[in-house]
Amino acid sequence: MSGASLSSEERLPVEERRWERLPRWLRPRISEQRGSRRLWRLETTVLVVVGLFLAVAVVNDLARQTRINHRLVADLTTWRHYTDHDYKNISIDQETLGAGSNREVLCGNTSGGAPGSKTQVCLAIWGPTVNGRRTVHGGWYLPPYYEDVRSERYGCFGSVRELCPR
Amino acid sequence: MSAVAQGEPRLAHERSERWVPALAAVCGLLLLAIAVEIVIDAAAGPSPVVPKSPELVGWLSGLGERLGYRGFLIALLISCGAYGTLATLARRFGASAISTRWAIFLLAALQLIVFVGPVLLSTDVFSYVAYARMGVEHGLNPYTHGPDAIVHDPIYRYVGHDWDRVATAYGPLYTLLSYPLAPLGVVGALWAMKLEALLASAGTLALTWRCARARGFDPVAAVLVVGANPLYFLYALGGAHNDLIMMLAMMAAVSLVVVAPSAGSSTRSARREAGAAALIVAGALTKATVAVLLPFMIVSKRRLAPILGTVAALALGAIVGYVAFGIHGINIVAALNRDAAFVSTDSFANEIAHLLGKPGVFPIDHDLLKAALVLILLHLLWRTWRGYDWVAASGWALLAISVTSTWLLAWYILWPLPLAVVTRDRRLLAATLAIQALFIIHQTSPLLAPVQ
Repeated sequence: MSGASLSSEERLPVEERRWERLPRWLRPRISEQRGSRRLWRLETTVLVVVGLFLAVAVVNDLARQTRINHRLVADLTTWRHYTDHDYKNISIDQETLGAGSNREVLCGNTSGGAPGSKTQVCLAIWGPTVNGRRTVHGGWYLPPYYEDVRSERYGCFGSVRELCPR
Repeated sequence: MSAVAQGEPRLAHERSERWVPALAAVCGLLLLAIAVEIVIDAAAGPSPVVPKSPELVGWLSGLGERLGYRGFLIALLISCGAYGTLATLARRFGASAISTRWAIFLLAALQLIVFVGPVLLSTDVFSYVAYARMGVEHGLNPYTHGPDAIVHDPIYRYVGHDWDRVATAYGPLYTLLSYPLAPLGVVGALWAMKLEALLASAGTLALTWRCARARGFDPVAAVLVVGANPLYFLYALGGAHNDLIMMLAMMAAVSLVVVAPSAGSSTRSARREAGAAALIVAGALTKATVAVLLPFMIVSKRRLAPILGTVAALALGAIVGYVAFGIHGINIVAALNRDAAFVSTDSFANEIAHLLGKPGVFPIDHDLLKAALVLILLHLLWRTWRGYDWVAASGWALLAISVTSTWLLAWYILWPLPLAVVTRDRRLLAATLAIQALFIIHQTSPLLAPVQ
């Protein structure tokens, strides 16, 4: 870092004499030494490496988010096709079937109304996207205004029956 | 060489630069047009970009269409392109690219356009009003209660869901500043908060101008790089964030030190340094982050004055904070520790965790990031002790805080920007703008795969 202090910020060297007891390499300086070019290069190299690393992390995360978005689009299409309802407000849960498992649970109303105000049908969806849709492996129902918790599920079907209360 | 021969290359050079002011004007107009478009569309009603808000700009509604996230992102990317070109031209060609009058008009217009519009991109300003109303209208301490303590207050329904149980993390000075606004009613208080942000923004730009001129930089280019930055006028000012007040205190402190007359007496400059330290403390009593400037100023100046200024301002702030809010009002460390545990999807820490195959940030990562930050700060302090510019070191420290934070928001990466334009180390400005660019790139996934 090669910035030099300005005259308005400099003080008389006499004020700095109390530091002369310190070894030379420990003494404070009013402005940077000309010989600090090597340090400047080293710092710049570190900055460039860190910058590249952050850029790779950002691009990787962007690609990851884009993949997730593509999957969620397929999930929404699947829910709408399966229920034959073209609703906008469908909740997507990525935790119930395991975070990072690419398995989602989508819940939406079984008939028109405010989100969650009617009996809701939840579908467990996973697998590859084929023709813009994924496979429904099962699901359950929820009463109006209830969150998707195990104790409230009923009418389980498909291969996810173990997620419902007995 | 004859006079004619000397004049020819200059003439050719001048001819080749004729496009510069025209291109700068086009970029400025593009920024203005996008700001107008965003404000008009945002006034159409709530959207993923515009939080639910009380009726603030009814006279604008009906003029535009609802501002969706994709539309906003496209506008943001275009404005970033215009800003990048304008900033490059201003820094490279100076007054020949853009006149002082045009630059001031452009910045004033951008700020005013956003000011007259609705709240953009954040619900924080509703939290500010809620904390003020808790104290003034309901007799509750905002340092011990979250806004959910006033569920029947008209502001409550606008507070962000993530924050409705969280006590204020802002400093006691800011909370006290917000108290007189509470009796104005919800709409009145919101306009007052927006006005506060506008004035803080104008003050920050004026002080950036002053510091740039004092340090021998082109002040027009400096204020354009800060004020025409889309993150600055859309996110920071659009959301009426108190970061602008913190930045005002920061630039006031820097200005007090760097604009000191060289022929001034030692006592006078000591007073200015003490005053600057007190201003930094005042900024930290608004938002704690700016306190990171203090060690750099103290190490650089190596005098008692900034230490005395710090201690005096801290003592006064602590007494006022304690009297007004009790021990919780001055326990800034607890608030910082609480906030440091939050994780936002846009933080670099979260992105690195995903790159390394982890689902997110773990507690050990918080410790590693804190250790990395401490190492960076120690290196910067050592460099400042050995003569490196303390203003640049402070800028690097603020940038390091935002990059290592697990809770990163757009307006956090603005903190180092006014410092970066008044330092000789050009790497700081390049790094700050690069981090901002990476942040914006990370926002663009809805453009690549829109979810309907």
